[in-house]
Amino acid sequence: MTSGIVSYGIYIPQFRIKVDEIANTWGKKGKEISRSLGVVEKSVPNIDEDTVTIGIEAAQNALSRSGINPENLEVCFVGSESHPYAVNPTATIIGQLIGMSNNYLAADLEFACKAATAGIQATVGLIESKKIKYGLVIGADTAQSRPHDVLEYTAASGAAAYILGSDSKETIANILDFTSYSSDTPDFWRREGIRFPSHGGRFTGEPAYFTHVLGSAVKLLHKTKLKPSDFAHCIFHMPNGRFPREAAKRLGFTEEQLKPSLIVDDIGNPYSASSLLGLAAVLDIAKPNEKIFLVSYGSGAGADSFVLETTENIKKNKNKAPLYSDFLKYKNYISYTKYLRLEKKI
Amino acid sequence: MKVAVLGAQTTKFGELWNNSPRALLKEAVSGALEESGLKISDMDAIFVGNMLSGILGGQEHLGALVSEELGVSIPSFKIEGACASGGLAMHQAVLSIISSYYEKVLVVGIEKMTDHKPEETTSALMGAGSDEERAAGATFPSLYALIARAHMEKYGTTEEQMAAVAVKNHYHASLNGKAQFTFPITIEQVLNSPCIAAPLKLLDCSPVSDGAAAVILSAESFALRNKKQNVKPVWITASQVATDSLGLAQRESLTSLKAVVSSSQKAYQQAGIKAKDIHVAEVHDCFSIAEIIAMEDLGFYHKGQAAKNIFMQKTRLGEKLVINTSGGLKASGHPVGATGVKQVVEITHQLQGKAGKKQVKGANIGLTHNVGGSGATAVIHILRNI
Amino acid sequence: MTISPVKIWRNQKKIQKLIGKEGKIVSHSLVYVPPIGFENEAPYPVVLVQFKDNKRYLAQLTDWNDNNLKIGQTVKAVLRKTRNAGDEGVIPYGIKFKPI
Repeated sequence: MTSGIVSYGIYIPQFRIKVDEIANTWGKKGKEISRSLGVVEKSVPNIDEDTVTIGIEAAQNALSRSGINPENLEVCFVGSESHPYAVNPTATIIGQLIGMSNNYLAADLEFACKAATAGIQATVGLIESKKIKYGLVIGADTAQSRPHDVLEYTAASGAAAYILGSDSKETIANILDFTSYSSDTPDFWRREGIRFPSHGGRFTGEPAYFTHVLGSAVKLLHKTKLKPSDFAHCIFHMPNGRFPREAAKRLGFTEEQLKPSLIVDDIGNPYSASSLLGLAAVLDIAKPNEKIFLVSYGSGAGADSFVLETTENIKKNKNKAPLYSDFLKYKNYISYTKYLRLEKKI
Repeated sequence: MKVAVLGAQTTKFGELWNNSPRALLKEAVSGALEESGLKISDMDAIFVGNMLSGILGGQEHLGALVSEELGVSIPSFKIEGACASGGLAMHQAVLSIISSYYEKVLVVGIEKMTDHKPEETTSALMGAGSDEERAAGATFPSLYALIARAHMEKYGTTEEQMAAVAVKNHYHASLNGKAQFTFPITIEQVLNSPCIAAPLKLLDCSPVSDGAAAVILSAESFALRNKKQNVKPVWITASQVATDSLGLAQRESLTSLKAVVSSSQKAYQQAGIKAKDIHVAEVHDCFSIAEIIAMEDLGFYHKGQAAKNIFMQKTRLGEKLVINTSGGLKASGHPVGATGVKQVVEITHQLQGKAGKKQVKGANIGLTHNVGGSGATAVIHILRNI
Repeated sequence: MTISPVKIWRNQKKIQKLIGKEGKIVSHSLVYVPPIGFENEAPYPVVLVQFKDNKRYLAQLTDWNDNNLKIGQTVKAVLRKTRNAGDEGVIPYGIKFKPI
């Protein structure tokens, strides 16, 4: 039996703040920062939004796209770095409010930006062992950053929800194989009870992102005996605009293969939703029988890689829920002071 | 029905830092008793109107507090209906007399609001509305603002017309020694005052106040046996209550308070009169728009006609029907539980010719209109001196 | 007063059915003076909305611009955080309306 994606849904908050706007406050040159980080503006959640509310929007979009009854979902995993509670699962609050029954396994996952893809691997296991028929996995974040820190330019907000199943009449993209590469690499961390994360500066590059992303990718390509040219699309976790482009290049993927996935160019880095929003943007434009390569990355560190293949069903329900391009239409730019108010820094 | 009003008194309303609730109630009660010529030991029961003693002061069990403070052990009851608490206490007192259970009763309305920060008071007052409204952060002014917006949309009522209500009531209050605000204001000042909940501005809204008001009621037979010289007896000839949904979302109309319409129609019937027979009325102007809608719901004007008539000063002292000679809630002040009782005090003094500079000449029939929340409770009393 | 988690629990079950419902603004007011728990959001609009089934509901408007504050504006019910629960309380989620 092959399991795969039955439906997907996303949500991006409407506020945006430009890199220029942030840079001007700190007396820096926005253009230089944009150039070095590859980010122009980022999404900002409203004061009344959090991981639960944006997760619900994405999950409801996934449900409308597929017409699946939420009572048939038997798993709800939510991966995030900004769960509203340290103890009290986001997954059950979302599960309840989207109309799930009581017959499901719920868990909140954490692994920096790759918590949700870990959830996908676990859910595939439950489906292929015939324990469940449908599972919901959500990656959602309303990321926080310290004022004047470089992360302030990229830490954004977004949610992506995936309903997984195994009925070939329903799956729009099969998950052919996956692997995971993990090690103890403290490149980016946040202690319990502390509000803002800390990072190791340039340590987040080669020893962290690249070692794990490339390590996981090479391992999977080897395992599946596939080459980059076998794929129509690729997606890499996007902490900024440069890292995914560099990773693609080093592995041998082309710019055309990578381009549709680069949501970082529009909204910055929504952490646990980054690679999954990239995947959604790709699924929006993918044709049947195309292979997709996805690698997520979580600091600490680890990378999950996936080989997916779209099916004939990919076009079926596409327009029954908002596409990634639809979310780019409703943008509302805010000032740095409003940004600080919304993020409750003042 | 005829229930006698033997004595009526209020304290000054305002920010009364030095006066505790006990001091306020003693002042109002002793004043009312003196007017009546009776002693507290003559009373058969006490009816207390109050809304916030628990949530703000931590004190429930107000019936017992009042009887203790007055030095008696007679039956004593706290009655609560948000801003209609005072009117409801009057109604219960009236019921006790016309049922012949009690013969002489004391009604006292009391509220102490200024001991607390404005945010605490604003939040406490939201207890008058529904849970849905509290969850939305819909402050009490915002509920009447929603009503105002709907009235403006439906009838073309303007912010200037609403401001005219406040201007008139401040003028009346300048003639009232017990009012919280005795300075006149202009329409310009109202329009320029800070916005509280659009379109209602600060001067469209009644203030936060302390105060107490007391009334002594008796059965008709007792009053006739104990007629006082040189005092015109005043009778309550109607006392009606109606309720409606707690929250605005469940109302049939946003521009009319059904509870006021039905209770006033029943009151006119009970008193054997029509709306046009009223000479003077105390109307619940918690917000300027409330007086406009009340004038329509009470049958004084057709729907959509009240605002322009008030703007043309048709309800000011000197006119045929005079509204809120006390200054209303806006200028006299609105210590929530006291208001419904104070309204009866004002009408009583008008009908006795004791209203001083704000006297409506030849007033024989008066009406009080007391509303709880955004219209969930309405209490109407009709009084006459003939 | 702190909000009871039991009340939040019961209320969230009740409002689940409203999420996604569409309606029109019947009246609106921009609140400048907030009560306790809503300080961070002020000024915010409260709106009375009529759903297509003629039932009405009162809630805040979110993700709004000045030109959304008009009678007749179409809106959709969404789930958002409502009152500020402080650092330790259970977070209340509830219905707000978003212009569409």
